Amino acid sequence: MKDLVRLRTSLKEEIEIVLNAQAKMEAEASQKYLAMASWLDRSGYEKTAEYLYKQAEEEREHFLKIFKYITEVGGTALTPTIGDVQQDFVSFKNVFELALQNEIAVTNAINKIVAKCREVNDYATEEFMMWFVKEQREEERNARRALELFELIDESAAGKFTLDKEIAKIGE
Amino acid sequence: MLHNSLSELYQNSKGTTWQCDLTHRIFLKFGETLTAFKVQDFFAFRRKVNRVNIHEMIFNLSDDYDYELVEDPRHNFSHKLTLCEIVQLRDLLDGTKFSIDMNSMLHEVLGEVELVIQ
Repeated sequence: MKDLVRLRTSLKEEIEIVLNAQAKMEAEASQKYLAMASWLDRSGYEKTAEYLYKQAEEEREHFLKIFKYITEVGGTALTPTIGDVQQDFVSFKNVFELALQNEIAVTNAINKIVAKCREVNDYATEEFMMWFVKEQREEERNARRALELFELIDESAAGKFTLDKEIAKIGE
Repeated sequence: MLHNSLSELYQNSKGTTWQCDLTHRIFLKFGETLTAFKVQDFFAFRRKVNRVNIHEMIFNLSDDYDYELVEDPRHNFSHKLTLCEIVQLRDLLDGTKFSIDMNSMLHEVLGEVELVIQ
């Protein structure tokens, strides 16, 4: 009896499920950054708003990268449904606290996928996910740097103006 | 010729499934309906059936919850199923998936050997 599953795809079902979940998480992250950028823009922080618009685009690229990989190896990529995302934020700083929390959650999820790949001997997907491991190291560092700047620059009116400019320079 | 290439995967009181090595299809006979799926479509169909909220069907007393419409238009499968039929269909699909996965696992562990299920 032929192995129809293997003939169709190199992806095991449990890996396909976690990759689809990760694609959804990246798409959600993109929407969250978009909402943050919108809030920053209407609050006058136009440079950091631009920075988060770019982050939103990057997260969408991550989503597409995983989505296309699933189909490339013969799996079924599912278009994720994204629920409501937070539209209002307590403060300028709160936006970046949430951004860091989100990046940590993404890193944890990626690490779990790598562990799962090793468990089921899917080394091709593990190798694919290594790009994300490296990317997350950078994403977390950038999110931490933003919060570090809040420690270095006080949030007076002039301080906020400087923070807006300095945060936008992160990762340049 | 087609008959020789069919291997039974699972059977219960309501139906039977086979794998066809010639067409690479999974055949599902449920009641009087015979449907052929590509393997990935079979998995998608199983996920769809597993998403039916059977708790709602059990506890909601409204007539609307006596039946659930299970559709897969691409494969000509469209039935209004009772709770009992949903459970039987799930059993059939789960048992079939187990056989497919077991076959795949045996291929992986044993390598390129011809597996014959009697």
